[in-house]
Amino acid sequence: MTTMMEEKRPEELTERLSQEINEELQAELDHTLDESDRARIKTEVKERLRKELERRKALEEKRRRAQAKRDQEQFTRFSLNIRAQHIILAVGCILLIVTGLPIKFHEAEWAKLFFKLVGGLQVSQVIHRIGATMLIAVGVWHMLFLFTRAGRREFIELLPRPKDILDFFQNIKYFLGFSKEHPQFGRFSYLEKFDYWAVYWGMVIMIGSGLFLWFHNTALGLFPKYFLDIAREAHSDEAMLATLAIVIWHWYNAHFNPGIFPMNFTIFTGRISKERMMKEHPLEYEQMLRAQDNNGSVVESAVEAPSSAQASSPEEVENV
Amino acid sequence: MRTVCSVWKMGSLGQALAICLGLVGIIWLWQFPAQSQQDANGRCLLECHGKPDFKKEIAPGQFRTLYLDYAQFKASVHKEKLCIDCHTDVTVLPHPKKPEQIHCLQCHYEGNVVGAPVRERPEKYKESVHGKAFERGNPNAPDCKSCHTIHAVKPPQDPQSTVYRSTIPKTCGGCHIEVYAEYLEGVHGQALRKGVLESAVCTNCHSEHDLYAADDPRSSLHPRNVATTCAKCHGDVQMMERRGVPVTQVEAFKESFHGIKIEFGVLKSANCVSCHSYHKILRSSDPRSPIHPQNLAQTCGQCHPNATANVAMGKFHIIPSDPEAGIVFYISQFFKWLTISVLIGLILHIFLDLYGRFRLRRAGE
Repeated sequence: MTTMMEEKRPEELTERLSQEINEELQAELDHTLDESDRARIKTEVKERLRKELERRKALEEKRRRAQAKRDQEQFTRFSLNIRAQHIILAVGCILLIVTGLPIKFHEAEWAKLFFKLVGGLQVSQVIHRIGATMLIAVGVWHMLFLFTRAGRREFIELLPRPKDILDFFQNIKYFLGFSKEHPQFGRFSYLEKFDYWAVYWGMVIMIGSGLFLWFHNTALGLFPKYFLDIAREAHSDEAMLATLAIVIWHWYNAHFNPGIFPMNFTIFTGRISKERMMKEHPLEYEQMLRAQDNNGSVVESAVEAPSSAQASSPEEVENV
Repeated sequence: MRTVCSVWKMGSLGQALAICLGLVGIIWLWQFPAQSQQDANGRCLLECHGKPDFKKEIAPGQFRTLYLDYAQFKASVHKEKLCIDCHTDVTVLPHPKKPEQIHCLQCHYEGNVVGAPVRERPEKYKESVHGKAFERGNPNAPDCKSCHTIHAVKPPQDPQSTVYRSTIPKTCGGCHIEVYAEYLEGVHGQALRKGVLESAVCTNCHSEHDLYAADDPRSSLHPRNVATTCAKCHGDVQMMERRGVPVTQVEAFKESFHGIKIEFGVLKSANCVSCHSYHKILRSSDPRSPIHPQNLAQTCGQCHPNATANVAMGKFHIIPSDPEAGIVFYISQFFKWLTISVLIGLILHIFLDLYGRFRLRRAGE
């Protein structure tokens, strides 16, 4: 009995519901659309269409960006070895400058404050020698690196050649607006070569005089006192020159240049985009393409590159 | 005095005459006070302390003189004082027992009413090595009178004073006899003997009342302060010019690694006296001097174990910007001009680069 009753009730309910729906639909059908309804529907549809368009646009944009990124072929500019050398040199130099300047300017208030903060002259001295060890280590490392095939190849690229002087004058003419042609750099521009060879000079002076001062007791037994005086003076003066060159020149080229700010990450990631490669090192880029052609393995996205690499319109360089 | 006193006995009859006599008496007193037999200290001197053979037997056969040279006292800064101003426990004469030891601080304290000058000196003395030794009960420890004398205290400007510049070494030498002998051999002692009053005497380096042990950071002889102490004179351009002594060492030492180490509290570093020694400072031309070229290896060797005759090859106390520095001057000039020219080039290149960028940007817009 009870089951009968329970079965019967839903049937009744469904029937009533369908009837209600039918009535409602009939009413809806009977209802004639007035002006306000039309306007409402119109705006609703418009809104929906707008949203759909936006969604598609965003999707397209995303796809395009992904495509651009894929197109933006990355090259490996610096090997891990070179990057490691640079970072050790950089950290070493910063340690040396930070602990060395307060000695040169020991009478300044900030120098006194520095020694107070760091825990005294002797602590600073230890840090300075840690920096010195890094500098010496990277110097030795680089000398050994030059014996490797990769090192030799880089070294040959870094050797100065007459083109660098021509590039320099071309660059000046370009800056001053006497020429619309930006100089075409190879693997290393004259600016980079200058930095490289400046480090040689700096390393020889700083490490040479620094070792004299570090092992002054040994030096006193072997050399006249004025050797130490010279070492002290050269260390202090070359330190100033190197610091100014790094802070003004190197940091301008690597950080503060409006086209590069906040920084050029290539020396840390080792990677350079095809775009920058074509603008900054067009000759190297061409060379790479030729090498790839010869190997028969042409990178898809690089097929059309040679023609664009030749072009160096002012607008293009402006974005460098 | 008698004349003045009689004025009151004579009454009004001879007043005019009496006043005249009185005036004459006062003038007479003014003009010859020292000769006056009415000196308030007269009784002390007349009966006992003025007699040269007045003495006391302190042990069988041993005597201590109790004579006072009153002329000396009258020439001292305390000439206006009475004996009993200081010997306050003497109330009857002759005094039945030995008066207590007196102390300068009886008068020379802050707020005294007798007008005794008070400076920070007694306080400084208490902190000094002498004061501390005195406090510990060292019988040889000097107090005020040891240097200033007892009854013949004179101001330091007075050439007769025991603390007059040229006499100070002798005064200190009274106890520090060996140091005195060394000092007289040194350049400062020699100069002083020749009458150069501005030559350094004991107190210039040790200071006098605030004389601390050399390991006391407050001491003028503490390793941190030695250079400053010497620089008081050796940094004085005019004085050094007068004496024909170079003045650049002070600056050169400050800039040296020795000087910088000391500046930042690393005291295991050479200061002036480490090389020049102190009481017997001798010229570098004197073979006995630790800075004579032949002795330099040994002098530097105190700290730098490998020092050889090499250390004598090269100038000392050099200032790189001074042509006197020899080769170091040329090195410094080379780097100076290298730095200037390189930086001018680099900065010019940077500005050209910036100019080019802004020019192109403007052209592009």
